[in-house]
Amino acid sequence: MYIKELTNIDGVSGFEEKVREFIKEKIQDKVDHIKEDTIGNLIAFKKGQTDKRLMLSAHMDEVGFIVSNIEEDGKLSIIPLGSIDPRTVFGKKVLVGEKQIPGVIGSKPIHLMDSLEKVTSFENIKVDIGATKKQEVELKVKIGDSVSFAPNTMIHQGWISGKALDDRGGCSILMDLIDLNINPYYDTYFSFVVQEETGLRGSGPASFQINPDFAIVIETTTSGDNPEFPEDRRSTELGKGPAITPAHRGYVNDEKLFNFAVKIALENQIPYQIKRRTVGGTDAQRIAITTGTPALVISIPSRYIHSPMSVLNIKDYENTLKLLSILITKEVK
Amino acid sequence: MKELIKKLTSVSSPSGREEEIRNTILEELKGSIDGYEIDKLGNLIVWKKGKKEGKILLDAHMDEVGVLATYIDERGFIRIEAIGGVSPYNLLGSSISFPKVEGIVGIEGETPEELTKNIRNLDFDKIYVDIGAKSREEAEKLVPPGTFGVYHYSFKDLGERIVSKSLDDRIGCTIIIEVLKRANPYYDLFGTFSTQEEIGLVGASVVAFNIKPDLAIAIDVTSNSDTPKGSKRMSLELGKGPTIKIKDRASISDRKVVETLKKFADKNNIPYQVEILLYGGTDAAMLQRTGEGIIAGTLSIPTRYVHSPNEMVDMNDVENAIKLLKALVESEEPLS
Repeated sequence: MYIKELTNIDGVSGFEEKVREFIKEKIQDKVDHIKEDTIGNLIAFKKGQTDKRLMLSAHMDEVGFIVSNIEEDGKLSIIPLGSIDPRTVFGKKVLVGEKQIPGVIGSKPIHLMDSLEKVTSFENIKVDIGATKKQEVELKVKIGDSVSFAPNTMIHQGWISGKALDDRGGCSILMDLIDLNINPYYDTYFSFVVQEETGLRGSGPASFQINPDFAIVIETTTSGDNPEFPEDRRSTELGKGPAITPAHRGYVNDEKLFNFAVKIALENQIPYQIKRRTVGGTDAQRIAITTGTPALVISIPSRYIHSPMSVLNIKDYENTLKLLSILITKEVK
Repeated sequence: MKELIKKLTSVSSPSGREEEIRNTILEELKGSIDGYEIDKLGNLIVWKKGKKEGKILLDAHMDEVGVLATYIDERGFIRIEAIGGVSPYNLLGSSISFPKVEGIVGIEGETPEELTKNIRNLDFDKIYVDIGAKSREEAEKLVPPGTFGVYHYSFKDLGERIVSKSLDDRIGCTIIIEVLKRANPYYDLFGTFSTQEEIGLVGASVVAFNIKPDLAIAIDVTSNSDTPKGSKRMSLELGKGPTIKIKDRASISDRKVVETLKKFADKNNIPYQVEILLYGGTDAAMLQRTGEGIIAGTLSIPTRYVHSPNEMVDMNDVENAIKLLKALVESEEPLS
């Protein structure tokens, strides 16, 4: 499991180099072929027993920010990359740009609010790197630099918490599948794609190059299993196994793949759950509309994704890996 | 033709679950086509050979809006999510057909005030489906989570006008089937019955890629403006002819398609209307941007109560759309 190392790397959408390098270094000697494409996707190949092609895809990028302006007082204005709830970011540590300049996300203090003000927009949120003048900041930070949440991963008694579990969890699963040295049924393409969070941008070119017959997207998805939230309103629940998606924004997942994944889970007594919400899209949609490839999403449920700290259950991770490790040895039917 | 429409609308095939409608259409076309193919996304592509080199594509989506069962509580009540543009208001007092059972839609409300509030601000979190089951186990046998459903089928023949669920877009499927049956195309004629339009124009994104047609026309329903306090900013009336789309939210029809359709309508004394739809989109949006780009547009049938269990069209518009498309595909005019 590479989650700890993967989540501690910064790689917001459009700035995935370090994640790609890490993955490449770990897997390149264990696959038949590996390549980086023009947009920045990393595609590794393992020969199967038939010529039909299976694409397994996870995205390398994480939600974060980009510096949009340096203010006169030395604070940084930022724009989110991907959807982030602004309420979750105050007082969080971030790293800015290539030099990894530490900063703190700040806004109006609670003491100066008349009452607890409504959700603040990113217009009122700045990054403070401990400077007083624009000129001083300009020596270390440029407009266009990435801003990522600082590494904070903890693994404790069966749980993992940290930033970027979405979708380094999926990346780690793909890497583990490679490590298991499974002889896959199909010619299998392990694709680590860029810029999912800003609009499913990397997976289209990846799918175009692979032209797969089937695709499975491995995601880390919303749970919503908060105590105040009734069971039927939740999307998934931690500890109940990998979530198999019947349909989400823009795409009804392939029926045959859906039934196939459920069947394998049942046959092998792997706990699984059906994702209950259809909000949010994934690369499965992009892959389907790019190459006409039937696609399915299988996810590790996770709490608080798209915030500086998310949580997942290691059992779910293991069961997701187990499900996929069996699935890729079988013919889809 | 009403019999064909009845047959097609009676099929339950929401987005992503088009197998049954695909088989029904294929069965209906037996003997009227020269070949067919089903692609990986489930699109049905049929063709009829012409006399001259060139390709015209007519597209209609075969899926319909529906719902997805996501969760069953311990008493057997089912929670659902929308597949495509289903308003929860259209489900009130209505029922849903799942493959094995029919379900009634109810609203939550612990007090009369809460019930009133929920009715005023209805969303999918406040409704449930009751299939008469008394436990989770009983309900799970009939509607396991992941099951798709559609509006209950009830076809009404009102004479010139008909009412049914899924006229969007089984009416387009009907039109293409009739054109394939009646016309002797001059150029190769392709009919594509595409999947998953309602959730995001999925099938049409790839359906024309290998065909590379010279001209593509999506046949779909559109809205109307001829009801009490109907839309002021549009002019779309039932019975005044099929509508030649200029634009909607997703595409601007190629000028050539618009002018060609107008010309054939005028030449054959077929009534038509010009359509500017303030919202919505059709498969033409995806056909247009396929591969190197395709000359594409939309011919629509004015429809009332779109995406409800009771969509209404005028048969004269349907007949005139068929006449217009027949004239177009039989014409010997050059395609470019």
